[in-house]
Amino acid sequence: MSAKTGNRSVFVRILLTVVVALLAAGAAVAQNDVEIEVALSPQTIGLNEQAILEVKVSGGGQNVPNLQMPALPSFEVYSQGSSSNFSIINGVVSSSVTYRYLLVPHKVGTFPIDGISLTVGGKQVVGNKVMLTVTSQGQSTSPQLDQQGTTPQGNTRDYFLQATVDKKNPYVNEQVTLTLRFCTAVEYYSSPSLDEPATTGFWTEVLGNKAPYLQKINNRTYKIIERQYALFPTQTGDLTIGRASITTTVATRVQRRDPFDLFGDLLPQGVQVTARSEPIKLTVKPLPTANKPEDFTGTVGHFEIEARPDRTDIEVNQPVTVTFKIQGTGNVKSVAEPTIPELPDFRIYRASSKESTSNAGDRLGGVKTYEEVFIPKRPGTLEIPALAFTYFDPDRNKYETIRTRAIPITVKMAEGYVASPDIPYSGPTMTIGSQAQDIRYIKDQIGSVHRSGQLILTSPLYLFVNGLPVAALVGLIVARKRREKLAGNIGLARARSAGRKARKRLSRARSLANLSTYREFYGELSLAVMAYVADKLNVSPHGMTGDQLADLLRSRQVPDSSIDEAISFLRQCDFARFAPATPSPDDLTKALATAEQVMVRMEEAKFA
Amino acid sequence: MRNLSVSVLSFVLLCLVALTTVAAPKDEFARANEQYKEKQYDAAIAGYQSILTQGYESAPVYFNLGNAYFKKGDLGNAILNYMRARRLDPTDDDIKGNLEFARRLTSVQMEGVTINPINSFFESITSSYRLSTLAWLSSLLFIIVIALLAVRYGLPIIHPVIKTALVATLVLLVAASYLTTFKYRHDYLTRRAVIIAAQSEVRTGPSEQSDLELQGEPGLVVEVLAETGGYYNVLFENQRRGWIRKESVAII
Repeated sequence: MSAKTGNRSVFVRILLTVVVALLAAGAAVAQNDVEIEVALSPQTIGLNEQAILEVKVSGGGQNVPNLQMPALPSFEVYSQGSSSNFSIINGVVSSSVTYRYLLVPHKVGTFPIDGISLTVGGKQVVGNKVMLTVTSQGQSTSPQLDQQGTTPQGNTRDYFLQATVDKKNPYVNEQVTLTLRFCTAVEYYSSPSLDEPATTGFWTEVLGNKAPYLQKINNRTYKIIERQYALFPTQTGDLTIGRASITTTVATRVQRRDPFDLFGDLLPQGVQVTARSEPIKLTVKPLPTANKPEDFTGTVGHFEIEARPDRTDIEVNQPVTVTFKIQGTGNVKSVAEPTIPELPDFRIYRASSKESTSNAGDRLGGVKTYEEVFIPKRPGTLEIPALAFTYFDPDRNKYETIRTRAIPITVKMAEGYVASPDIPYSGPTMTIGSQAQDIRYIKDQIGSVHRSGQLILTSPLYLFVNGLPVAALVGLIVARKRREKLAGNIGLARARSAGRKARKRLSRARSLANLSTYREFYGELSLAVMAYVADKLNVSPHGMTGDQLADLLRSRQVPDSSIDEAISFLRQCDFARFAPATPSPDDLTKALATAEQVMVRMEEAKFA
Repeated sequence: MRNLSVSVLSFVLLCLVALTTVAAPKDEFARANEQYKEKQYDAAIAGYQSILTQGYESAPVYFNLGNAYFKKGDLGNAILNYMRARRLDPTDDDIKGNLEFARRLTSVQMEGVTINPINSFFESITSSYRLSTLAWLSSLLFIIVIALLAVRYGLPIIHPVIKTALVATLVLLVAASYLTTFKYRHDYLTRRAVIIAAQSEVRTGPSEQSDLELQGEPGLVVEVLAETGGYYNVLFENQRRGWIRKESVAII
């Protein structure tokens, strides 16, 4: 964007601001309060750097008039837009508009920026004066960048991708910062897509992208996008960082070949382009072997260590959690845990470890935290000794050993404490037993001995216990079925209960078997036999004669001998009941025996 | 009456016989423990083995035998006996601890491969219970179900609480029975073996001429899939298969 178009858009914005302000309040202009503040950041720049000029116009009124900028021939001026702020507090309307400009210097020197003004109601308000110093120092365009910005024919390139490293001869595991710069002097239409470089042999971490900035290379202004990586070589010897490439669509300068093509220059032309960086060769040095400490575990960078206990005043067998924090710049992921020496007064468990990375500028760093649980075994003033951590400092070319401070712990006698060599501590998230160096001791008791191959599932006891409820259930179901059957079939019920009822009657008759009650005795006997047959055949015993009974029995295929026996017994009973002669006690006994016999016969007959 | 007294007498006699036969392994066990304490591991091994050859077993016998083998440096037999002990008593921490410890020392690690997540899930549930515990739990639930069925249909008492209890117990019974069956199948029907030979080639087929699949190491646990002649077809924990000579392994 040129300075001209920049100014035009500023004008449009101001105009809009003014209109909005007028519509919002519609009040008189408070002219006297208008102020202009001019600020420059930074105030000293290199020839290839740029400064930001901020002009803040503030005033109580709503109408902010047009800003008049002085001519700045020593700079190229780019408008960066403006922001406005309105507020109404207790009916007082205040407003401010801040305009931002990017200044790219042409030459070295000290340049005053003065005379930024505006006219309010015929009165001119002027902003403060600022000085911008441009030195030949500071960030100069690297010869590399100059070189890459030029074609072999000496023309400047429209776009190119550059890859640089901050050192080409690092130690193993020392950070190498890789910077990719995509420089374009033409506008691009699509957001550039990056194909990351191959970094085999390195542990790679992206540091992030810088905000795009402008820089002059070979008198041409380029917009530069920068991305940085932290690379940690994991091996010594020659390593190569591969090419990176960026693809985007850029505007091109179309050369009009066809004299009739009138629109060739007017329509924007986009073309997809790919910029590639050059591969970079590094030679990775091994760490010096001279003066290498015993406990060095390969960490390179610059670190600090601290140890912090969660408490220092405890009882025996209570845990103290000590947090060891190692932080600094370098590859934190390679930081090994500090070695804790054998401490006879403590049992020690690893609780947790975690790490987090962060960047300090273009250096990768972070924090590694270890939590160790110390459980004192005895009372007294004990000490967790200072722990050492060793790393290699590549800037000073030497190994450094840093230490925590020793931590005194006051251990009190716990209530009911008995000196025991090992009371297991059941704290959270720790691994007990991993330190054991031997198997657990043999058992003194033989335990429950049984025949080999004996299985519970086939043992008689198990089968019996499981069979019992099944049998009970089956019995219950059978009983219920029977009851239901009886309830639905009176005939069957009577037949089933016939024997029981007859036996009852016989026993009653037995109790009547004496001479004073012989009539009742015979009556009962007769009824017993009659009712038994009636129940069996499901007929009523009342009013039944001997002949009817005989017919019924005959129809059920009862043998004739049994029928005759029964009929003759019934007749005998009738005769004894109604005859005037008194029977002898012997007769009664005989009658009872006969009745029983008759019933046995009937039972045997089964009644078809 | 006479019959009853005969059966009581024979029962008492049987108990006495059982007591005297159990007393012998106990003494043998104590003797072997003494030898172990005196670091006479070969004698201790012979002592524990004699209890087993008499037809008796218990988790501590296998455990101590495993320890004696471990002390002798025979990792294969140590792991074999720890696994036998664990099958009898999966609740014992010492057994579990020593088995893990011994298995960490095997030169090849094959654990940690989970092929069938459902199997592993049931394994993790049943691993800390004995088969008898699961079996008795199933029996108890079975009796409760029968009792509830009897109340519900035999008496019959119809009440929603009884119906809910019946359904709940039935579900628990199905779960417990499944776990019992799973445990039985896993521990007893699946044939597992431990490599005990110091040198054992696992081949692609059941003959010396077959190619070498991998080199077996003492202490590795395998599942026996089939057998042919003098070879077992085995499946390793990392799901590799091969044929190994029968004398190189011992069935758990």
